[in-house]
Amino acid sequence: MHITEPELVSGWGRNFSSLSKRARISSIDEAQEFLAKIDPSRGALPVGLHRSYGDSALNSGGTLIDLSSLNGIVINPDSQTATVGAGVTIRDLERAALVRSLFPPVVPGTGFVTMGGAVAAEIHGKSHHKTGSFSQCLNWIKLLLASGQVVQLFSSDEEFWATVGGLGLTGLILEVDLNLRPINSNSVDVTERRVKNLDQMIEVLNTSDIDYEHTVAWIDLSGDYRGRGVVSLGNYGSTPLKVGNAKSSGPSLPSVGGTNFISPLTVKAFNELWFRKPLKNGSVGLSKYMHPLDGVNNWNRIYGDAGFLQYQFVIDEGKEEIFERLFAGLRSLKAASFLGVLKKFGAASGAPLSFPKPGWTLTLDYPTTVPGLEKFLHAFDEELVAAGGRIYLIKDSRVDHSLIPAMYPELEKWRRIRSSMDPAGLWQSDQARRLRLC
Amino acid sequence: MAIRSSQEASLMLNGFKSPGRVALIGSRSDIGVSIIKQLPEDSSREVILIGRSGDYELNVTDKGARERVVAQLFDAGDVDLVVIAVGLLGKDPQLSTSENLLAAIDVNFLSSAHLMELISERMRRQAHGAILIVSSFAQVRPRDDNFRYGSTKAGIDFYARGLASSLQGSGVSVKILRPGFVKSKMTEGMEVAPLAITAEECGKYGVAALSSKKVVTWAPSKLKYAAVIFKALPPSLFKKISQR
Repeated sequence: MHITEPELVSGWGRNFSSLSKRARISSIDEAQEFLAKIDPSRGALPVGLHRSYGDSALNSGGTLIDLSSLNGIVINPDSQTATVGAGVTIRDLERAALVRSLFPPVVPGTGFVTMGGAVAAEIHGKSHHKTGSFSQCLNWIKLLLASGQVVQLFSSDEEFWATVGGLGLTGLILEVDLNLRPINSNSVDVTERRVKNLDQMIEVLNTSDIDYEHTVAWIDLSGDYRGRGVVSLGNYGSTPLKVGNAKSSGPSLPSVGGTNFISPLTVKAFNELWFRKPLKNGSVGLSKYMHPLDGVNNWNRIYGDAGFLQYQFVIDEGKEEIFERLFAGLRSLKAASFLGVLKKFGAASGAPLSFPKPGWTLTLDYPTTVPGLEKFLHAFDEELVAAGGRIYLIKDSRVDHSLIPAMYPELEKWRRIRSSMDPAGLWQSDQARRLRLC
Repeated sequence: MAIRSSQEASLMLNGFKSPGRVALIGSRSDIGVSIIKQLPEDSSREVILIGRSGDYELNVTDKGARERVVAQLFDAGDVDLVVIAVGLLGKDPQLSTSENLLAAIDVNFLSSAHLMELISERMRRQAHGAILIVSSFAQVRPRDDNFRYGSTKAGIDFYARGLASSLQGSGVSVKILRPGFVKSKMTEGMEVAPLAITAEECGKYGVAALSSKKVVTWAPSKLKYAAVIFKALPPSLFKKISQR
């Protein structure tokens, strides 16, 4: 076990930092031994690769627990399941599964997420309307409780559902067992459609739900904010593709001296190009399709030293008028989003803090320096809550804590289960303190 | 571990780098209130007023009360910023000169330093936070008309600079605001000095101090040069000028 001196850590948004120690744990025994060393006043938090955007994986004054050494992958081809250590990344699991013509049914937009992180964030992907979120493919979770006891949690246990989407605040996820799905090749058959506005986009997404396993839309939120964009529809393909050395990593965005390259002008220019780009129709590599953002390492540096925030919310079907008000507000702020993504969700998993629920989810990125953005987002949060929507906590660094109980009506239930699993409050995070979750 | 000062200024727990949970000690201070009002926008900010009136009642000269209130404040949650804006000019006509001196030392130095010590201990534990203390131009050089007040401010200023240095790398920062003459309740009826500013203007400098890499911020900035001149003047000339 190695514990570092306090070091500065920030989320993927790089919009602020916090100072904490980091404990590198390489076995379950070490994890149990470590429990006694935790300062209960600031606690500890298991973390993965810090792909959460805000403060979900920060613990100022406390300790972060790095479980990347728990990296075992055992695949059972007969049952089409995998038993995987908490530190294994989605990317590594995909590679191990692909060799056996299997694939995780739920993967997020980046492959750089650990199993522990995937459970704690209850991640979702382009297949949500068909497969649901990550918990839907889980058979069990092995968890180390604050008491030192190791428990195996199944979907019949309420502790299982408190841990799913539980932001690492119920215990140390050590290992998970999940179902894989068979695939015929390492490709996806992709169809892309250009749409002129939000109504068309919604229509295409609505009508393609049944025929396509993967649906997502890139939405242009700049210029006139009409919501034009490109809808991408995909199904697992049957054409084997030759791919480069799987170990090689993509190009890195160089450190750009802290300058923010994202301005209304550059975003508008980029979005114009992106909207006009030739549409893809045919086979695309599975990884490339699933994790488009992983093509460029450290893409988050493009916003410079000030960093950025990602705002993701979900709203029920039938409440689409809220988009018009959002777009009008963003237009008046001249807040152009580099990355706008619209997706239709399927059924909710039932975990108290799970984000996805049936309806529309929109994701936006903004530099934190846009004047008036804080006030605007706060007002929009209130409107969102009034319309029954909620935001994704794993992206958040700014929401008003008083809105959380309305966004997550089962928060009290989660608190009760969590506190029975960790009566002394050993598991803590900056986000949990800021939003008064526990 | 040493951290860059630019990062130190951002150790506040909100995505817009603005302080979320903020306390003002000296709830009726015009300067203090003005600083709080001009902080960068945060719709969910919680402001806790501490003083003779406010969310927590505090007689700053009561040691036990200071300990109790700081404990209560931090036990209820992390604090991103504490502004300490308590001060006595020490010119109460009801009191003798020596009583006025004691009262000013008690509020401006003893109690303020103790509060800063207690607050910094708690902030050290949370590994983030900022303390902003309102010092004064009066601490630059003793003048016949205000050296008693000036000496108390010199004391707290000295202490705050030391504390700021000792906290480097802890995630906690200490910022010192040195205003000159501020037109406020405290200076009502007094002759307005050169480079005087309003409490509102002073608040702007206070907010700027929080994001500054420097420990000391003058209000207005020109006072920095005035201080250099003040210090350089020969005693006889300084006495003549300061008596005007």
